[in-house]
Amino acid sequence: MSNYIPTIGVEVHCELKTNTKIFSNSVNGYGQMANSLTNVIDLGYPGTLPTLNKEVINLAIKAALILNCKIRPKMHFDRKNYFYPDNPKNYQITQAETPIGYDGYVEIDIDGKKKKIEIEEMHIEEDTCKSTHRGTKTLLDFNRAGVPLIEIVTKPCMESGEEAKLYLEKLKELLFYSDVSDCKMEEGSMRADANVSIRKNISDPYGTKAEIKNIGSISNVKLSIEKEIERQAKLYDNGEIFLPQTRRFDDKLNDTVLMRVKETGNDYRYFPEPDIPYVYITEKQIAEVRKTIPMLPDERKEKYQSLGISEVNAKKLVQNRSLSDYLNEFLDEKIDFKTASNLLLGDISGYLNKNEQEIINTHLTKEKFIELTNNISDGTLTSKNIKEILDTVMESDKNIKEIIKETGIQNITDSSAITEMIKKIIKENPCSVADYKAGKDRAIKYLMGQIMKESKGSLNPKMAMDILLEELNK
Amino acid sequence: MKNKLTKEEVLHVAHLARIKIDEGEIEKYQIELEKLLNDVDKIKEVEGYDEEKMIAPWTKNTITREDKSGEMLNPKEVLKNAPRHSGNYIEVPIVISDGEEA
Amino acid sequence: MLDKSIQEIHEALKNKMIKPIDLVEEAFDRIEKNKELNAYITLNKEEAIKRAKELENKEVGNNLLFGLPIAVKDNIITKNLKTTCASHILENFIPIYNATVIEKINDNDMIIIGKTNMDEFAMGSSSRTSYFGAPKNPWNKEKISGGSSGGSATTIAAKDVLFALGTDTGGSIRQPASYTGIVGMKPTYGRVSRYGLVAFASSLDQIGPMTRNVYENALLLNIITGADEKDLTSADKESEDFTRLIGKDIKGMKIALPNYFMSDIVTKEIRTEVEKAKKILEENGATVDYIDMKYLDKVVILYQIISMGEASSNLARFDGIRYGYSIENPKNIEDLYLETRKNGFGKEVKRRIMVGSYLLSGENAKIYYNKALSIRDDIKKEFDKVFKNYDLIIGPTTTTTAYDLTDSMDDPSKSFMDDVLVIPVNMAGLPGLSLPIGFGKNHMPIGLHIIGNSFDESTIYQLASFLEKQVNLDLDPRKDDKNV
Repeated sequence: MSNYIPTIGVEVHCELKTNTKIFSNSVNGYGQMANSLTNVIDLGYPGTLPTLNKEVINLAIKAALILNCKIRPKMHFDRKNYFYPDNPKNYQITQAETPIGYDGYVEIDIDGKKKKIEIEEMHIEEDTCKSTHRGTKTLLDFNRAGVPLIEIVTKPCMESGEEAKLYLEKLKELLFYSDVSDCKMEEGSMRADANVSIRKNISDPYGTKAEIKNIGSISNVKLSIEKEIERQAKLYDNGEIFLPQTRRFDDKLNDTVLMRVKETGNDYRYFPEPDIPYVYITEKQIAEVRKTIPMLPDERKEKYQSLGISEVNAKKLVQNRSLSDYLNEFLDEKIDFKTASNLLLGDISGYLNKNEQEIINTHLTKEKFIELTNNISDGTLTSKNIKEILDTVMESDKNIKEIIKETGIQNITDSSAITEMIKKIIKENPCSVADYKAGKDRAIKYLMGQIMKESKGSLNPKMAMDILLEELNK
Repeated sequence: MKNKLTKEEVLHVAHLARIKIDEGEIEKYQIELEKLLNDVDKIKEVEGYDEEKMIAPWTKNTITREDKSGEMLNPKEVLKNAPRHSGNYIEVPIVISDGEEA
Repeated sequence: MLDKSIQEIHEALKNKMIKPIDLVEEAFDRIEKNKELNAYITLNKEEAIKRAKELENKEVGNNLLFGLPIAVKDNIITKNLKTTCASHILENFIPIYNATVIEKINDNDMIIIGKTNMDEFAMGSSSRTSYFGAPKNPWNKEKISGGSSGGSATTIAAKDVLFALGTDTGGSIRQPASYTGIVGMKPTYGRVSRYGLVAFASSLDQIGPMTRNVYENALLLNIITGADEKDLTSADKESEDFTRLIGKDIKGMKIALPNYFMSDIVTKEIRTEVEKAKKILEENGATVDYIDMKYLDKVVILYQIISMGEASSNLARFDGIRYGYSIENPKNIEDLYLETRKNGFGKEVKRRIMVGSYLLSGENAKIYYNKALSIRDDIKKEFDKVFKNYDLIIGPTTTTTAYDLTDSMDDPSKSFMDDVLVIPVNMAGLPGLSLPIGFGKNHMPIGLHIIGNSFDESTIYQLASFLEKQVNLDLDPRKDDKNV
């Protein structure tokens, strides 16, 4: 197979996280009884008219800001006319002429380098209804009809499936963190299409384009692009030509399959939506929305590392937004963040997973978390202790001091008592001491084990080790 | 300046409009549509106008709605007027092609 | 009783001399007697009687409209009452919601008597495109009542009821009002909520009152206006009393009469009547100046482009899936669309949807629709200029009096040209009213068109009621021997 330069553009639809639909006040919800979240507007009944949800505009502004887009101060909606059973009015209200955002970018890290993925435009539109095929019938559920969407269109500026994957991961992270969208690809609240073409030389015009529709996961976006590049390359290698077409990714075949060859341009008969007057966006409104943007992932990672959290932990925290949000409450506190991050990602995550709980729904108040962290870093509590008391910490209103008292944890923090105990162990194990002196590392592990056993785990291991070494080297 | 509308063009607009026209009707539509298109073609003669568009005569800043939910229909009401339905769903003959999707 | 003045009826109701049910029964009797006029598609008998009885327990108060029957054009959505738009495709459509104007009518204790006949989806100027046959003109049953609000005009002219609602996209209230000798007002775009008005051309459509006289017209407008959160194009204007200038004299009023409106596109007899009205105005201290206005000869083209373009999109929702007529056993989804819409729509509607689709197709949207919107903006500015110097604009409402029901419908442009004088108002979103000012030689009514500045309906009513009093016509077709 010869070498080709791929050109890839990605279009993403994201459902906005609002209470109600974009043009009606019925509930924006998922997984409810079919046709239970609709009104006459969503169903396109005659005489009904759209209203405009304020939150949709605000979330779209937010997304535009996060994606570094310019924001249009005066915009309107357009009708996209096409007949399809999932399209209740047989036109979709969208923005063709004046998308709310344009000329933006998202920065990704690829092969250790930063690259700006350019965003052509970002517009607001309504979702269609959901259709399910059963035998010779198609069943329509209008709960999704009118759910607000933003569509984000990149320039054809990517060159590999990996880049597209990184872009989507980044996009998802950004929109999710800013509460613009749930970005659940499995529930369809984020959907991606990829446009793929290849050419021999950078000076050649773009090759024939194939659009891969509705890819179900980010990893499949990468895979389907790679497969599509391969497929096109083989065709060119064999001197074959092909027409612009729409394809989809088939999980089972692990390849893209043809849906249809594109007609010579779909005739959508766009025209300005006369039922919705111009929408004006003021600088003031933009400034207000800007205030609602929380700390975004990159900024968080940087901040965490500056506080002494390891890169691995910082990354893990950002991947778990509720923990990251929780930790952000403490950023001004004087605590050992390394310990705090270990605690959050270790025992606390374990507890939350086991009990299928969110951290904010537990009894782990800010004060308790700080107390807990400090108790660990000063050696009052050992990791064994934590395991013992964690359930109580998470489930009761008691503070840590009370809990320690009640559980009867009496950690030996008095160094003279520890020294006494260690001296005793050394005396009882002359062979191991001899082994240690002969340079056998295993001996020290054995001795530590004996010490922890003797103390029933109520000992700060670091402190014990220090004393043990001191005694042995005397 | 006469607009000549071909048979194919008549069929194309009929398809866009999803209105079936029988073979025998094509010629009649051809004549009628042509007449109307010749009327509207006179717009091409208008010059010296301002590019600003009027989307609706009443222009004001769009008043947006608070994001609060209101009354909804129950599925029974949704199906009440639908010619075909099964369970809680409105039904149509199977849609094979993925059609023109948004 | 229904021939008495609104004040007399009101007093009778207030003094318990009559009950709302008496008015309702009288109205139904009259409608029955005038059955051959074909003014109604659906009568609301049972419900109207029930409503009337309910109102017996309610205080009449100072609401002049209390207990009065009203006819509603059949493209305005009425909950639990069939709304057909005079189309086969909605022949059996029973809505589950109300138009905002219907809520207002109910809130004001008026009684909906029935749904009036019209052109299918309001597309036409003679109501002959109705799936249910055309209404007939009470002045001469061989003549059209005009359209598209032909049924509403007919029932008012025939004196079945005092009040009716019509809708006006390109003259559909004013032109039939002129043909039938009644008063019809198209309010400023945005004055009345369009929620629940089945859209023909969204940027032009407006609901308005049709009545036997000017005062009652203003009364009805009083209760149907107001900002509506369900309609983003409705104007957030304070409610006002549109009768407040009625009875004031017109001394010093400045009125414009565009030359184009008096050109030879209008019959001589109509121009003569307008001239007479002009003279009356001048004699009473108003000035009337002939003026030139740009674009007036282009409005029909713009109207065709904008209305057909928007209609092609607005009527796409009638697909036989969620409501309305649908063919039996469709072979596949395309078949369902094609056959349902072929059988469901009438000729005129299909023609306009197809032309509209063409006008928006591909590059055409720029050449036609967008250009039309730009010129439309200029027309508005042209009117703005006139209203800097004048209070009102007048002209004839129609170019001829009502023509024969049997006149050819073959020319697809004809129905547009009928409205050449009334369309400019829709283009600019202005208010306009048609007032009967005389009769032609065949004793068919002639109307004067009075155009006001945006949201200045009150001044129109002031002039109209003044002229109404001056010309003092006998507008009862029942007294017209040869037609009874």
